[in-house]
Amino acid sequence: MIGADFINCKDDRYSAWAGNEILLVLPVKIRRMISALPGPILDSVEEIRIRQGKPLALGLSSGDIFVNPEGKPARQPVEAYHVTAADMENLIDLISGSSLYALEEELRTGFITLPGGHRAGITGRAVLDGGKVRTLKNLSCCNLRVSREVAGAASGLLPHIVDKKNGGIYHTILVSPPRCGKTTMLRDIIRQISSGVPGLLYPGLTVGLVDERSEIAGCYRGVPQRDVGIRTDVLDGCPKAEGMMMLLRSMGPQVIAADEIGRREDVDAMEEVLNAGVKILLTAHGSSLADLAERPVLGRLIRSKMIERYVILGRSRGAGTVENIVDGKTFRAVGVRK
Amino acid sequence: MIKLLGAAMVVASSGIGGMTVAGRYSRRPRELKSLGYALQMLETEISYGANHMKVALEQVANRCDQAVAPLFSRAAAELSAAAGITAAAAWENSLCAYYRESALNPQDLIILRSLGSSLGISDRADQVKHLNLAMEQIKSENAKAEGEAARNVKLWNYLGFLGGLLVVLILY
Repeated sequence: MIGADFINCKDDRYSAWAGNEILLVLPVKIRRMISALPGPILDSVEEIRIRQGKPLALGLSSGDIFVNPEGKPARQPVEAYHVTAADMENLIDLISGSSLYALEEELRTGFITLPGGHRAGITGRAVLDGGKVRTLKNLSCCNLRVSREVAGAASGLLPHIVDKKNGGIYHTILVSPPRCGKTTMLRDIIRQISSGVPGLLYPGLTVGLVDERSEIAGCYRGVPQRDVGIRTDVLDGCPKAEGMMMLLRSMGPQVIAADEIGRREDVDAMEEVLNAGVKILLTAHGSSLADLAERPVLGRLIRSKMIERYVILGRSRGAGTVENIVDGKTFRAVGVRK
Repeated sequence: MIKLLGAAMVVASSGIGGMTVAGRYSRRPRELKSLGYALQMLETEISYGANHMKVALEQVANRCDQAVAPLFSRAAAELSAAAGITAAAAWENSLCAYYRESALNPQDLIILRSLGSSLGISDRADQVKHLNLAMEQIKSENAKAEGEAARNVKLWNYLGFLGGLLVVLILY
């Protein structure tokens, strides 16, 4: 639970809230409650957790809170608004744009990307086909994650991943657990290396971005809604492995960027990119390099020493804290707690 | 002279009344048929195109018979307004406006209303089932409507004018 300063705050400004697009997919009742929240709380909302029959919860940068029917922070879960089956049905209808039939692939992966790059994670009962998840039904829990564009988030990190000698960047992987600002950091790195940073990397580099989940560039009908730089070509909604190869063949990128690698085919495609002389900029789930090394596919990649920089992100001083930067050849820290 | 003019007006207005009723009988099967085709198009947009409901409704509105196009175009416009509205609500609003202008009867309204409540909330196979059910019901209503039209169109056309004449004769 959060501190009394949040419970007692009176500010009700919310018009500039980063998650305004999320309000449109909320059932009217819940939309009113969230809109009525005091401004400082809205500003620190990272996720809205809606579970059928359970209290309406918000994940803030400082912890979780529950929301009561009047749109105020509830001190106890029992005082909070409890989500009904009708709310859940309405929410799914709005999230899918009344087109659940068109989102079978998204349901299979467990999330739907909303306008503005926000992500709605969904759980329910899995429908299997030959042992693999075909889709989800009886959808009962939803986690709406607010996507934030933080210009300058990567400024402190950039000098450590820019290879001044060769006028490019090092092969880099950003490693962090969920909710540590991985995607936000990746977006800002892409923006800065693409548009160029005077004194560090100027002019910028041509970046090919495979945005499988439409989270990084927040594309609407193929056009990026987020600032991902002036030399960035975005391949939206494309599987990473296939997308990296497509960009390599067709767009002549100097850097290929993608979010959340982990599958064998991703790493195979990445090795192709590395061998083609194109720099890579990727993210992966994990809390440390040791964590990553335990994973069969990524472990192989680490041992191959092809990656030059691992940036470990955490929340020790809020989302997006750079906890460590590790040289991929020597496994020594090159920059700590920036 | 005034009597003659009055008689002509009685016959004409009664005739027009009869023709209006007859027109509704003859318009309904045409509209039902067009609705059936339009729903067929919607099914294709959903099952093969996997287009989002908003786009699917727009496509149908552009290609279907003009008599039923407003139902689809208005629903698409409401969904496009991005006011956090569901397809069911957009369809219901559009249906209310369309029904007032159409020749459909309350039974047809029930079919379309029931279809609206299931629009976009399930997987492809289920959507196709709902649309097929609505198409079957509309087909059955159309068969009835054609029978009614065959029986009633001529009847109301004659009844209007003859009724007017009868009134004139009685008044004379």
